[in-house]
Amino acid sequence: MPVLTAAIDPVTRIEGHLKVEVKVETVRGVQQVVDAFATGTLFRGFEKILEQRDPRDATILTSRICGVCPTSHAMASVLVLDQVCGVGGDTPARTASRLLRNLVHGACYLESHILHFYFLSLPDYVSALPVAPWLPGWRAGNRLDSATASRLRDHFRTAIAMRRNAHEMGAIFGGRLPHTPAFIPGGFTAVASAEQRDLFSKYLEELIQFIGNVYIPDVELVASVFDEYLLLGRGYGNLLAFGAFELDNSESPALLFRQGRRRNDSDEAEPLDLSQITEQVRYSWYADADDDLNPAVGETRPENPKGKAYSWLKAPRYSGVPYECGPLARMIVNGDYRGGVSVMDRHRARAQEALKLALAMRDWLSELPLNTGAYTPCTVPVQGTAVGLTEAPRGALGHWLAVQERKIARYQVVTPTCWTISPRDSQGQRGPLEEALIGIPVDNIDQPIEVLRVIHSVDPCLDCATHVIRAEAGRKVFTLGPMPGK
Amino acid sequence: MSSVITRRRFFRYCQLTAAALGLDAAGLGLLRKALANPNAPTVVWLQGSSCTGCSISLLNLISDRIGEPASVEAVAAEAVNLVFHPTLMATAGEDAVASLLEAQKAGGYVLVVEGAVPLAFGGRACIAYSWRGREVTFQEVVQECAARAAKIVSVGTCAAFGGIPAAGANPTQAVGVQTLTGRPVINVSGCPANPDWVVWVIVQLLLGKTIQLDENSRPIALYAAKFDGSSAPAILHDKCPRNPGLHGVPIARQFGEDGHCLEQLGCRGPFTRARCEAAWNGIAGAVPPQPHAAHWCIGVNAPCHGCVEKEFPGPKSFYEPYSG
Repeated sequence: MPVLTAAIDPVTRIEGHLKVEVKVETVRGVQQVVDAFATGTLFRGFEKILEQRDPRDATILTSRICGVCPTSHAMASVLVLDQVCGVGGDTPARTASRLLRNLVHGACYLESHILHFYFLSLPDYVSALPVAPWLPGWRAGNRLDSATASRLRDHFRTAIAMRRNAHEMGAIFGGRLPHTPAFIPGGFTAVASAEQRDLFSKYLEELIQFIGNVYIPDVELVASVFDEYLLLGRGYGNLLAFGAFELDNSESPALLFRQGRRRNDSDEAEPLDLSQITEQVRYSWYADADDDLNPAVGETRPENPKGKAYSWLKAPRYSGVPYECGPLARMIVNGDYRGGVSVMDRHRARAQEALKLALAMRDWLSELPLNTGAYTPCTVPVQGTAVGLTEAPRGALGHWLAVQERKIARYQVVTPTCWTISPRDSQGQRGPLEEALIGIPVDNIDQPIEVLRVIHSVDPCLDCATHVIRAEAGRKVFTLGPMPGK
Repeated sequence: MSSVITRRRFFRYCQLTAAALGLDAAGLGLLRKALANPNAPTVVWLQGSSCTGCSISLLNLISDRIGEPASVEAVAAEAVNLVFHPTLMATAGEDAVASLLEAQKAGGYVLVVEGAVPLAFGGRACIAYSWRGREVTFQEVVQECAARAAKIVSVGTCAAFGGIPAAGANPTQAVGVQTLTGRPVINVSGCPANPDWVVWVIVQLLLGKTIQLDENSRPIALYAAKFDGSSAPAILHDKCPRNPGLHGVPIARQFGEDGHCLEQLGCRGPFTRARCEAAWNGIAGAVPPQPHAAHWCIGVNAPCHGCVEKEFPGPKSFYEPYSG
């Protein structure tokens, strides 16, 4: 049988620039994906842009890495700055800061999860709205009867409002979303009033109703109608979470989403050792001298073209092993989700996590100290290093900072999309998404919607992390345009 | 305009009852084209070296004003024919590119650009799409699309002036759209751009009105006027309710002081021209207890970072008093 190649470029309904190439072959009578290459096609060089700046500026600038998870970057950077500045203590200001950060970060999670299912994923299963840009679309099949499809379309319209409302809710304390200026080293700028708290609560209760009564049932419906996707798109099955949402003011606070990892051959979550994380760059457009470095000493020296490199993304590995992150990883590491690893498990875990988080936000709101400043005075030391770990809606996020002479000497950002959409590593192992695509049946090579369903299930955000993946020489069936200088 | 809505509602009816009418997706696509109103201008929305934040901001649109689109759905359903938008469009790959190329061939569309244009690595710091196996850089696409556009709108500070990608050492040699193309551009700056401002520009273009621009090609009506259209001080500080000189508000000495002027904490309001006041994440100008009361940075004791300005972010600390 001939080997066919399909390149999806752009992959739409994601954040940022992604190209995915699949090799398709008929194996045992089923036309399916036999190899995959994911290519991030944007490089902005944030790490370079940050060098020599006031370290406190990192919050404002790194928020702009991503318009969908700005508060996750803000959170990672205030955590790293709090640490380097020695912010601590169990004070009312620290409590207010922790809860306000959690509430605004949480609002962005709800926004992102709702956006992801309705705007980014649902059009893979049913046509959303009968106008451009939701028409035309790839054929999604006719498995849903017209009444059900019409109900989902109504829910899509409701989701437009709910997603927006989640941002309005976050802006009550955040001032503006995306790109709130309220996260600062040492705390949070807003001072909560009773009126603001009550308004936040009004939005939140409506969102809880929507998540419980509409979003989760819609995911269950799609999962039941497209139930083969409970078995498709597993990939390596290695799951990793940095953890997020602090529950107390201690130096090692309890977290709503715990930190840990689970290997595909184990049922137990294991602890993380950050020194086991390295970023590999053999297939990435960065200098080979920077291969296999821990982010604490990582460098970002772009080199394009470069040998077999095909991506602007680095390939983070834990003990040399590829890991997937995201809501499913968090929910399984936390013991909150009992299912497997698949396209539909990812959607289900995401929806269930939205409810879990929204209910926790209700508690945080009731604990929120009113009329209390949320700032602990702090100054940037002459030198220091720190790590800020959190979770973006789509997975583990870390910021590594080194300060020298009160300026940023080194800033490294490792994003969830780097983990999940990574290119092959220096050992030639596929990234988790590439692996998850292997064996996916493809009905129509011209419109491989099945491939799109797998890609969307991991919620790629290439604004955060852009890699380009290029096939190894000699194994290529699809010829890319010539690289400059080649 | 009413005929647009009627036709689109008719189409929606056909879409909802497609099974009964015996229409499949392809048939509906043909029907949509047949019903397309010539008055609904084609809009092509490109994303380059961006964070998608301006698109997300557009999704935050809400309005209760008569004659304005109330939400992003209304923008797409009733105001424009948004044929290409990577974050929203249903189709993907070459089919998506085909929509773009078709619009490009026809010409006369409104080109919206989100994100800066990186020139480094021969433009390969940002690939827009592949066509027939060739990777096409964002730089090429912007130049080609700009050449056949009726109007060009740069949404956000990156597209307008280069913004954050162009900051510091500018590792990707990022530039704004006007710098790249040398063509007249309407800049709707902001990091992100305010959705009301973006839609305001689209409505003006729909109405065929000429938009007066300032020296940075930003609509004067958006950056130096009140919401009712009357003129207002251009400088944010001059209309800030926390201006110490005008309102006797104390000056904050550190964060956590509620309601004070933020000038000593790095506020760039004295150097920023925008109508941000209570204009974000709600209905612009609405205040509690009005529904969807809007917000802004200063309202939560956060200094203005001057994100609408050409100088944003600049090399200076955001935490030191700003002197331009």
